[in-house]
Amino acid sequence: MSSIIMRTTARVVVPIILVVAISLLLQGHNLPGGGFIGGVLTAAAFALVYVAYGLDYLEIGVLDRDVDPGAGPFDHRTVALYRRLIVLGLAIAVATGAAGLLFGVPFLTQTFVYVEGVPLYHEIELTSALVFDVGVYCVVVGAILSILSVVGAE
Amino acid sequence: MTLLLAAVVGSLFALGTFLVLRRDVVRVVWGLAILSQAANVYIITMGNVAEGGGDLVPVLAVHGGEVPTTTDPLVQALVLTAIVISFGTTAFALALSYRAYQENESIDVTEWAS
Amino acid sequence: MNVVVAPMLAALGAILATLVTRSRPRLQHAASVLGGVAYAGAVAWAVRAAVLGAGAPGAVTYQLGNWPAPFGITLVLDGLSAFMLVVAAAVAVPAIAVSVRFVDRANQQVFYHPLFHLLVLGVTGAFLTGDLFNLFVWFEVMLMASFVFVAFYGNAQHTAAAFRYLVLNVVGSVTFLVAVGGLYATVGTLNMADMSRRLAEAGAYGIDPLPVTGLATLLLATFALKAGLVPFQFWVPGAYRAAPLPIAAMLAGATKKVGIYAIIRLYFTVFAGATVPLNLPVVAGTTPLALLAPVLLVMGVASVLMGGFGAVASPSMEELLAYSSIGQVGFIAVPVAIAAAADSAALRRVGLLAALVYALHHALAKGLLFLSAATVRGATGTNRFADLGGLGRQSPFLSSAVFVGFLSLIGIPPLSGFFGKFLVLDAVTSRAATGPGVGAVAVLVVLLVGALLTIVYASRAWVGGFWGARSERVRAATVDPVQVAVLVAVAALVVAVGLGFEPVAEFAGAAADAALDRGAYIEAVAPAGGESA
Repeated sequence: MSSIIMRTTARVVVPIILVVAISLLLQGHNLPGGGFIGGVLTAAAFALVYVAYGLDYLEIGVLDRDVDPGAGPFDHRTVALYRRLIVLGLAIAVATGAAGLLFGVPFLTQTFVYVEGVPLYHEIELTSALVFDVGVYCVVVGAILSILSVVGAE
Repeated sequence: MTLLLAAVVGSLFALGTFLVLRRDVVRVVWGLAILSQAANVYIITMGNVAEGGGDLVPVLAVHGGEVPTTTDPLVQALVLTAIVISFGTTAFALALSYRAYQENESIDVTEWAS
Repeated sequence: MNVVVAPMLAALGAILATLVTRSRPRLQHAASVLGGVAYAGAVAWAVRAAVLGAGAPGAVTYQLGNWPAPFGITLVLDGLSAFMLVVAAAVAVPAIAVSVRFVDRANQQVFYHPLFHLLVLGVTGAFLTGDLFNLFVWFEVMLMASFVFVAFYGNAQHTAAAFRYLVLNVVGSVTFLVAVGGLYATVGTLNMADMSRRLAEAGAYGIDPLPVTGLATLLLATFALKAGLVPFQFWVPGAYRAAPLPIAAMLAGATKKVGIYAIIRLYFTVFAGATVPLNLPVVAGTTPLALLAPVLLVMGVASVLMGGFGAVASPSMEELLAYSSIGQVGFIAVPVAIAAAADSAALRRVGLLAALVYALHHALAKGLLFLSAATVRGATGTNRFADLGGLGRQSPFLSSAVFVGFLSLIGIPPLSGFFGKFLVLDAVTSRAATGPGVGAVAVLVVLLVGALLTIVYASRAWVGGFWGARSERVRAATVDPVQVAVLVAVAALVVAVGLGFEPVAEFAGAAADAALDRGAYIEAVAPAGGESA
């Protein structure tokens, strides 16, 4: 699979996918998009990297770290990281849901605020739904990537 | 349009059922995926694909607003949820079928241990 | 108002706590058990505040995300939901306590505890939600957790069983979705209270309710699949054998009851008001209930026989219990069918009351027995009657708990099972007294045969596993005292429910009333858009 065409395409396509994924995540609270789609797209970009360069590329090539070649897929450092990402995302999502309870409104209630006078943007909408979406995003990315790397390593 | 969608939904259900009843485990998983998608297409058609109208987009109608030429947003939200669920289930089914294949050393589900 | 969401938050908190503490097993086990206890506490608090306490409103609703009904997701805690939540909590707490001691260390670390609480969360959501599509979502949450548990030990037999369970349930979910989509297109809403109101005055809202009967039947098929009623029972023995035994206790005690609950909630609270003329052979009536009654009756009666005979022929304790739970769900389905067939409100209430009391009894007794099977397996390494024998002498406390469980299953007074069986038979005889109806005498005979079969397989399990001379395996066994303590506590609960039956009956009566009182349900939710189209 790891042909020169594959690798060259991946180099070009992966950054584009990531940018689209982030933009979908950011606009998801009131336009098409959201945490799930953004997460799936991000995972697709990573999957492309895995297919083109192999599972250890992120560790060796990007982060410049050593990899223990004998370790099973469950002990892989990136896989452990993905699992931590799931927990973090879940915690963020539940916390934003429960935050409403402190203000006396029901669980999962969302709110928003307009911030004026931001340079370049002039006006920007900050929503609590975005924070919830970030939680969902983390869960989706972590879950899909840990499945991919464990199943892929088999 | 409605007739076309009915035909599509019908053939998807037929194909899914056919695949689920095969012996080959990979085909069974494909069948599950197609059945889930058939249900999703079916739900989309439930939200009126022809043209917008108060009777057909109940959520907008009850809000009291004018109903423009729009499709029903509710069914799309439902389908989005259903897609996420079937995505997870299919992923699990794939992983499980691989594991079951390893354990039973056969892709023929009728030969698996009972 | 937050009482409604408290049980869900407790389960969510337990998922997070067990995930965070995953690298420290002892801490994780403590967090998991504490989470289970917190869940039970939240349920008790919510039920007391909403239904049982002095001056309680009887039904409390909660709009998730502050979106008004019928657009947002409504959670409704009324008598029926409260009763079922108590049933679930009564199984969940001992199940998690036994899990910590029973399931081996390595396997507990592989997401066992978060998934257990995910299962609890799914059950809780299904009992609380007042939205049809949301019910589907909670079913899926529950199923996701149970899929992993059935595939948990992962040998050839278990992965095959898990795959079959998965395929069957995905097909069931697709059926559910088709029914949900059809109901939305027909009625124009997914909120159960709104649906109930619109169906009752279909003409005023411009609805043609004719498809509702068929769609309701699709839902019945899905729920019967989850409840493991004949002819959808074939997944039960394989899945229960494959799942870890404390999870089998949860599956039999709590998730099966979700199927029964959904049948009761949708048919009696939502569809009962619809006027749909039925022109089918044998079936005659004007509501979907008229079709439910004969179908569910046949399913229930067949389950009683199938489960009874299967259990008598089972070679091991877990298989015996799995078949037994098919039969016992039949005992729950029959009074529901009687209630559906009933003409009078009083008989309807008697039927539902019997079903609910039996559901509570079955959850407690079958939970106790599955957990005992876990302890026996933990001590001797097997559940086959051929290798067991004489456990009574080896561990008197364990055997006493099992004895109480079996006696309750048989229906010996004053245990909880006596009242369950008594009320079910009472419902059938009341039906027989009001006229020939649906062949009530034949049903009575089958139920008595079922009860007889229960005695046969219970004594078989007792003689095979606990009586007589000690086998070699039993001689070498050391029974875990902590598990036995939990079992004795559950056995004490079984006795207590029987001895202090009056408050339980009142609670179940409130639950049956809540299921039948469509007006109160609609009023509690008060969906907007009340004006007719």
